[in-house]
Amino acid sequence: MSVAPANPLEMLAYVVSKNIQDKQIVYVGTGLPMVGAILAKKTHAPNITLVYESGGQDPIEGSMPWSVADPVTWRKSPITMEMPLSFAQAANGYVDVAFQGAAQIDMYGNLNTHIIGNDFLNPKARLTGSGGGNDLISLTENTIIVGLQTPEKFPVKLDFITSPGHLYGGNSRKEAGLLGNGPVAVITQLGVYDFEPVTKRMRIKSLHPGITIEIAQACTGFELLVPEGEIPVTETPPLDVLEILRNEVDTQKMFISFPPQ
Amino acid sequence: MTTNFEYNQEALKNLQIDDPSILDRLIDGESARQAHLKKERGKVDKRISLKEAVQEFVKDGDIYADSGFSYVRTPLQALFEVMRQGKKDLQGIGSPNTNHSYGIPYGTFSYSHNSYLGAEMRGTDRSYSKAVKEKKVKILSEWSHGSMGLGFKAAQMGAPYIASKSLLGSDIIKYNPYVKVVENPFKKDKDPVCLIPALYPDVVFIHVQWADKYGNARIYGPAVNDIALAVAARKVIITAEEIVPESDLRNTTNTNVIPFMFVDAVVHLPYGAVPGNCPGYYYWAREFWEWGIRIALSGKDDKYRDSFWDYWVFDCKDQFDFIEKLGGIRWLNKHQVIERALNGINEDDGIDLSYQSVIPKWDEE
Repeated sequence: MSVAPANPLEMLAYVVSKNIQDKQIVYVGTGLPMVGAILAKKTHAPNITLVYESGGQDPIEGSMPWSVADPVTWRKSPITMEMPLSFAQAANGYVDVAFQGAAQIDMYGNLNTHIIGNDFLNPKARLTGSGGGNDLISLTENTIIVGLQTPEKFPVKLDFITSPGHLYGGNSRKEAGLLGNGPVAVITQLGVYDFEPVTKRMRIKSLHPGITIEIAQACTGFELLVPEGEIPVTETPPLDVLEILRNEVDTQKMFISFPPQ
Repeated sequence: MTTNFEYNQEALKNLQIDDPSILDRLIDGESARQAHLKKERGKVDKRISLKEAVQEFVKDGDIYADSGFSYVRTPLQALFEVMRQGKKDLQGIGSPNTNHSYGIPYGTFSYSHNSYLGAEMRGTDRSYSKAVKEKKVKILSEWSHGSMGLGFKAAQMGAPYIASKSLLGSDIIKYNPYVKVVENPFKKDKDPVCLIPALYPDVVFIHVQWADKYGNARIYGPAVNDIALAVAARKVIITAEEIVPESDLRNTTNTNVIPFMFVDAVVHLPYGAVPGNCPGYYYWAREFWEWGIRIALSGKDDKYRDSFWDYWVFDCKDQFDFIEKLGGIRWLNKHQVIERALNGINEDDGIDLSYQSVIPKWDEE
């Protein structure tokens, strides 16, 4: 039986799943991070606990939720949290990793979900605003950023800092009084990135099969740091995992069909 | 106009708020306390109609909040009645405040306290973007979900403000006149914290599954900010799927309950969260939001928008008219079945949860 190879979104979901370790408490939003987290739970990390912003905790398995407040996010949850308490859970050290996306990401992992354009009162586009994004990246021990990589989405300077990553690099995040490690990884359709420990600038960690440093750089508005030596190729999903992803996780292909629906 | 509060001057400048007195009521705990002191103390039957509740308790210019999360247990039918009655110049506040953009073109909402305005994976609310650009709405403050939620929590706890680790280092602080970054006075080393004042909306509608006639109310599913909002707001209206005997609520004291003393009015409003989701009762109308995002909230054309809101709000007299347009009893039963299957209350094996996108013809020109 032949199985079609992973498309870029399936690859993203798989890399997300591999960044989750068993027994972690994982804070997820809708979209690919949720797909990746559920895939992790069904494969190598069966003992993770999923936490959702609207209050859902540890739901039993269900279909793909359409929203962070969908009934599936708190299906038979033993407890649901009031929203500020679900963020307090992160502040108190009861969340290990949170996933986030953004309209714009800079080299320090700061995120913008507020405006495009430099005039706040007359922007090119007004976006959603923070939601829980600012709280999660400010309070959670580790944040992983997930998104599609283009020069526009990875600019030199953000139009607005909604959610602080490593702010201006160096110790600036700690000096601002923020909790946790901030962003520890960025996962895109091209590769996986981490942050160089001293400057806190985004650095290539691995590239997906067929992606070169030049391609990754061409899709980035700022200069990516390139590590010494050979750059690892990101592991691709084994066929049995792909089948689980397609047949048991996102069965309606809400998030993993490519091009996107 | 004079103000009794010290606001973040940089934010006032960035938001071009010339007269900051408009900001006062949201953090005026003393006036909220006085409003609470005047409320009915006895257990009286507080049931009135939705029309009466909106007429009596929503005043032009009020700071308006509502329950739930975007389209989960949100009193959307109450919001639509507020639009129908032509209320004006409300300040919308909520985390999220997604649904407050609908009334902006009609003058229902003229101000916003933002935390999140959009429809998650279904898309961006471009009509809000357009309203900001055309100055149809004035932004009074920017928040995150957690920081705004802590403002309601501070009010609930009777604390004038709360110190938080959210918002630090972000640009949100430059666009929020209310919050202040200070050094934690308990630490010897530098430790910046963000002070968030207690927040007191004027009026809140809270949709629940069950309430008694006195206003004791019980929530099934995530309470979001509602326990705090019920304490904080000057006026509290409960809209309920079912009115149950008081003894019924007394038998289940360990779930989320809003006590009667906070509540000004009780509206028996079955399907009051339609087209949203009411946990345990009905799933949300995915087609409504699909149409909404593509037409009313697309920002493309005012005539699309107006035809949408005419159809779904101004030409409906109540939630039953609305449900008829969605497909009547067949729509309702299907969404009851889906909701109970998703909740795990009913068997989900064999229940079709799939959704085929609807592309209305009038969007294709």
